[in-house]
Amino acid sequence: MMAQPLSSAIDTAFKSNIVPDQEYLLQGSVLDKVVEVLLHRLRGLCDNVDSGPEPFQDHEMCFTIRTTPTPLNLRVRRALDHQEMPWQLRYIGQPEYGDKMRPTIIRSSIDIGCSATVVEFLTELGCRMEFEYIARGYMFRKGRMKITVSKVFKMNQNKSQESMEPLSESYLVELSVLAPRGQDAIAEDMRSFAEQLRPLVNLDKVDFKRLVHGPP
Amino acid sequence: MAYSVNVAIEAPIENQIQEISYDGTEVYQQPLSMSESLSKLAAKIDFGKGQEEKEEKPNEKQEDEAAAKDPAAYQSSLWPWDSVRNKLKNALTEVCVLSDVLAIAKEKRYLVLDPVPQDPPEIKAMVTVYARKKALGGAAAVLLTGAERLRTSQSELVRNRSVPDFHLELLQLRKNWRLKKVGNSIIGDVSYRTAGSKFAQSGMFEVSKAEEDTPSNWSPPPPQSPNAGPAPPKTPSALRVTLPSELQGVAFIEVHCRKDDEALFSTTVTSASLNTAGPMPDMHWQKKLEAAQNVLFCKELFNQLAKEAVQLPGPIPHMVVGNQIVASILPGIQLIIGLRHSTSSNSKKSSGPPQQKKSDHDHVLEHSIHQLLREVHHKNTHHPFPHPSSGPLGPSKQRCLAGPTAVDRHELTEMSKSQTLLEQIIEQTQHFTMRRRTEYVLDTIAKEVRDPLIVSHWNSINSPTKACVKVNILTHGYDTICRTLLTIHVGKKSLKCICRDGSVMNMSYEIQELRDLLICQIHQHQITAVQALAKCMGWQLLSNSMHLGVGEVQQMGNASSCILASPIGDRLIAVRCEPQAGVHVSIAHSPRKDFFPSQLVKERKWENLGGSYKEVRWDKMEGKNFLNKMELLMASLTSSS
Repeated sequence: MMAQPLSSAIDTAFKSNIVPDQEYLLQGSVLDKVVEVLLHRLRGLCDNVDSGPEPFQDHEMCFTIRTTPTPLNLRVRRALDHQEMPWQLRYIGQPEYGDKMRPTIIRSSIDIGCSATVVEFLTELGCRMEFEYIARGYMFRKGRMKITVSKVFKMNQNKSQESMEPLSESYLVELSVLAPRGQDAIAEDMRSFAEQLRPLVNLDKVDFKRLVHGPP
Repeated sequence: MAYSVNVAIEAPIENQIQEISYDGTEVYQQPLSMSESLSKLAAKIDFGKGQEEKEEKPNEKQEDEAAAKDPAAYQSSLWPWDSVRNKLKNALTEVCVLSDVLAIAKEKRYLVLDPVPQDPPEIKAMVTVYARKKALGGAAAVLLTGAERLRTSQSELVRNRSVPDFHLELLQLRKNWRLKKVGNSIIGDVSYRTAGSKFAQSGMFEVSKAEEDTPSNWSPPPPQSPNAGPAPPKTPSALRVTLPSELQGVAFIEVHCRKDDEALFSTTVTSASLNTAGPMPDMHWQKKLEAAQNVLFCKELFNQLAKEAVQLPGPIPHMVVGNQIVASILPGIQLIIGLRHSTSSNSKKSSGPPQQKKSDHDHVLEHSIHQLLREVHHKNTHHPFPHPSSGPLGPSKQRCLAGPTAVDRHELTEMSKSQTLLEQIIEQTQHFTMRRRTEYVLDTIAKEVRDPLIVSHWNSINSPTKACVKVNILTHGYDTICRTLLTIHVGKKSLKCICRDGSVMNMSYEIQELRDLLICQIHQHQITAVQALAKCMGWQLLSNSMHLGVGEVQQMGNASSCILASPIGDRLIAVRCEPQAGVHVSIAHSPRKDFFPSQLVKERKWENLGGSYKEVRWDKMEGKNFLNKMELLMASLTSSS
């Protein structure tokens, strides 16, 4: 009885463009040696200088299921340092790079909190785990913008925390905002914020497909 | 250089004159033949010239002698090549000797060559000292003139301090306040928006350069009120800060608690310095901006409270009239929150009354009312970070957990509820009133009742809406024998008392209930203390009743009593404690020592049944307090047996 009005409410919410399902994203990377400088600058630029950067350590698993025409990717993420928080199941759509004028990548993003049994659930559905990794770093906030500076580690077989093996000698820097469709003003804000980080890290629309197929 | 003239040098064509005769004819020398000229030139060759400097002195001397002899030798013209031959011969001799010496030296048997230590070139110490002295003197002179020039410019600056630099002051202003340049003007902002405020009113002000003639206005220093504390810097400023009219002046929020048209206490929310300083038209810009920020803060606070007062449903609706909010806290007690904003024009009129009321100024409530809005501001800017990090910013941890833990609608609506500022202030004021009342009751009872003593300890750790007091009832000198402990929790509208026996009494805000409870507890304490004392004295407790059903009906509570028997059982003491009437003590003897048979009681054995009680005139008893008197009484009755 509750289902009917609820689903229609969600429909109207989607129609009236109030659901924040678009992720505006800029990415970059910075070498281990200079990450301290970047963190220092971010502390100065972002909100809540008093509380300092928020550390995080997440474990992400990427599942795929064979659908036509393209396989569907689903990501399961959990906070290793906050075990009491719910896991997160997330769908990320195809990124739109747009032309040169568009400041950021836009991709649709839908996430939902779930319990730890989600892995079992997805496996039962026929999903297969493609890869998994651990991201450890700091996050910052500037208004609606979220900035994460994280290092990607390989997932060990014995799963011990101490002997984590880093994937590279650099940190991944991401600047993202989750907003309803059509709010392009925030993208401009992101560009101007990225400009302020410019000499330390070059935040840009990174096209991974071109990275994979292009010359090394 | 410019006048250089080319001069040709060549041998004269004429022959050299040998002699001039007396008649003036010149006898010319015959030109030299080729061989003669060669031999002459050969004689001129200085064979010693090619020799190294190391050549020994005697050699040189020899040569010199040879050279001195040369002209004579030439002139004598023994043989034109003679001198040349001599020189070559000498040279050969020297070379032979040298080669011999070298051959011997090479053997290292008879001769060893050692380098001759060469004397360092003589340094004239005084000369270098003088040279250095002179150079240093020159450098010092340059530095001194530079320093002198700096000093004069500095003193010039000090002399011109009365006209401060606009840009320096602007820099100072920029350190403390938000400024930006719009067009040709500099606009600043005093609002708390960056700190999380959502108040719509803007706190814009304009910074401009003060006119040149303004310093003359400052020269007579404005009369300072004597109680103003640290005087604001009197130096005129090159900056002028223009505030909108609604932010000018001084504002504060006044909080009264009124009980039946009389003020119980009042508090004014403003910093003390602002209250006393008063709005001066020529205040320093820092003070001016601080005052404006305070005005804005007070307006936001009042605006928020007024909005909540209108929306808040309650049994007695809150009233908002003009710049005043009236909210009822407890029956008969009202909380009045008023916004006082005095601009320079009407400053005298409105800053008068709050200064009179400052005598009962409550700093705790002032602080908490400030804190409430600051907390709201803080919450607006400090959102929790999502974990895992890919989650959206904003939802609280509770909201994040709501989905996976299947929270129902009721719990969700409970989650979204939050207390408004007004509700929190009302609760705090209610608690404040309750605490005051409890304090009052405890103090008056302690004053009224001298025996036993009532000691109350307030917990230093408390919250704005909860406090705890520990009441200790004890008799002076007998505190180790018996003490009655009570714990009273003071809440918002009620009191909770945990008694010695573990029973919990819940009381309302009517303070008479607490008073009654305490009086009952005091009398119960007397009875229990007597029993404990009796145990020490070796007396026996025959009966004990905390709620005695006999005797006249008490207005409040019940009388309590106990009956004690002396160690050998021949004396009895009965104690009756009434909350209103106090203590009655009676004694009885059994058996009586003297027995006179009467018609009714013929035998002595009947006396063991116990006789009639006789009341002790308690006020005539010796002793400092009730227990002391009891001890003396028991002692006297014991010793007599």
